[in-house]
Amino acid sequence: MASEPAKVVPPTEAPVVEPEKAAPPPTTQPTDYFAVADVVLRLLVFASALVSVVVMSTSKETKMLPNPRPAKFTHSPALIYFVAALSVAGFFSLITTLGSLYSLIKPGCSAKIISHFIVIDVLLLGIVASATGAAGSVTYVGLKGNTHVRWGKVCTLYGKFCRYVGASIGVSLFASVMLVLLVLLSVYSLSKKIPK
Amino acid sequence: METESHTIAKEIGVANKQTIRWNDFVLRFLAFVVTLVAAIVLGVSKQNELVPVQLVPTLPPINVPASAKWSYMSAFVYFVIVNAIACAYAVISLVLSLANKGKTKGLSLTIILFDLIMMALLYSSVGAAAAVGLIGYKGNTHVRWNKVCDVFGKFCGQVVAAIAISLVGSILFLLLVLLATVNLHKNIRH
Repeated sequence: MASEPAKVVPPTEAPVVEPEKAAPPPTTQPTDYFAVADVVLRLLVFASALVSVVVMSTSKETKMLPNPRPAKFTHSPALIYFVAALSVAGFFSLITTLGSLYSLIKPGCSAKIISHFIVIDVLLLGIVASATGAAGSVTYVGLKGNTHVRWGKVCTLYGKFCRYVGASIGVSLFASVMLVLLVLLSVYSLSKKIPK
Repeated sequence: METESHTIAKEIGVANKQTIRWNDFVLRFLAFVVTLVAAIVLGVSKQNELVPVQLVPTLPPINVPASAKWSYMSAFVYFVIVNAIACAYAVISLVLSLANKGKTKGLSLTIILFDLIMMALLYSSVGAAAAVGLIGYKGNTHVRWNKVCDVFGKFCGQVVAAIAISLVGSILFLLLVLLATVNLHKNIRH
C-alpha cells in the first residue's frame, strides 16, 4: 500500500523535472577570452595592412622644377615590394580572421585550427617585417641623405610624399607588433591545453 | 595490461622529448654559427679605390682615393648589430633550453617569444640591407642616386654574401618557432 503512492508520484514529477534540467546547460558556457582576443587582434592586423597599402598607394606628389616631376612609390623597388608584401599579408589575415570567427561561433575544433593559424601568422610576420625593414631603410636614406656615396635628401623637396610613406611604414610596424602578440597568444592558449 | 600500455606510452613520450631536444639544440647551434658568420663578413668588408674625377674638361682626370665601408650606410650598421644580437641570443637560449629540458613552462614560452622577436628583427635587417644594396647596384635615376657597385665590385660581393648567409639564419629562427609549435601540437590531448 505504501508503494502505490510512490509509484504514482514519480511519473507526474518526471515531466516537471525534465524542462528544468534542459534550461541550465546553454547558460553555463564561459566566454572564451582567448578566442575573442584572437579575432580582435586579427582584425587589427588586417586593418593596419589595408591602411598601409592605401596610404602608400595614394602618396603621389608632383613638384614643378620647372618641369613637373612626380614622386611615386613605383619609383623605388623597395616600396613596390612593401606594397606587394602588405597586400599579401592583408589577404591572408582576412582569411585567418574569418577562420577564427568560425571557430568562435562553433567551438570544439579550436586546437587544430590554432596550430595551423600559428604557422600562417609566423610566415606573415617574416614577410611584413622584411617589407617594413626594406621600406624603412630606403626612406631613412631619403630623409637623411648619404654624403659618402653622394645620395641627396629627397624629403626636403617632397614633404607630403615622405610624410605619407613614413606613416605607412609606422602602421606596418604596428601590424608586425600585433602579429607577434597574436602568435604569443596562440602559443599560450595551446600550452594551456597540455595535460600536466 | 593497462600498466604495460601506460609505461609504453610514457617511454614514447620521453623518447619524443629526447629527439625534440636534439633538433632544437642543432638548430640553435647552426643559427649561432650562421649569424656570427654573416655579421663578420659584413663587418670586415672594406674596399679602397682610386676614382677618376674630371674637374675641368681640358685637364686629364684626377685620381681621387675613395673607400667603401659598411659603417658608411646606416642600414648595414643595423644589419651587423641585429646579427650580433641574434648570435648572442642563440648562445644564451642554447644554454637556457639545455638547462630547462622542458620543465618550466614559463621559461619555454619566454624562449618561444624571444625566438619570434629575433626572427622578425633578422628578417627586417635582411630586407633593409637588400633594399640599400639594390639601390647601390642599380642606382635610382628618379632621385639621382648613382650606382656604387661598378666601382666597388668586391665590396658589393661581400654585401651580397652577408645578406644570403643572414637569410639562412633567419630561416633557421623561423624553423625554431615552427618546431616549438609542432611540439606543443603533439602534446595536446585531443
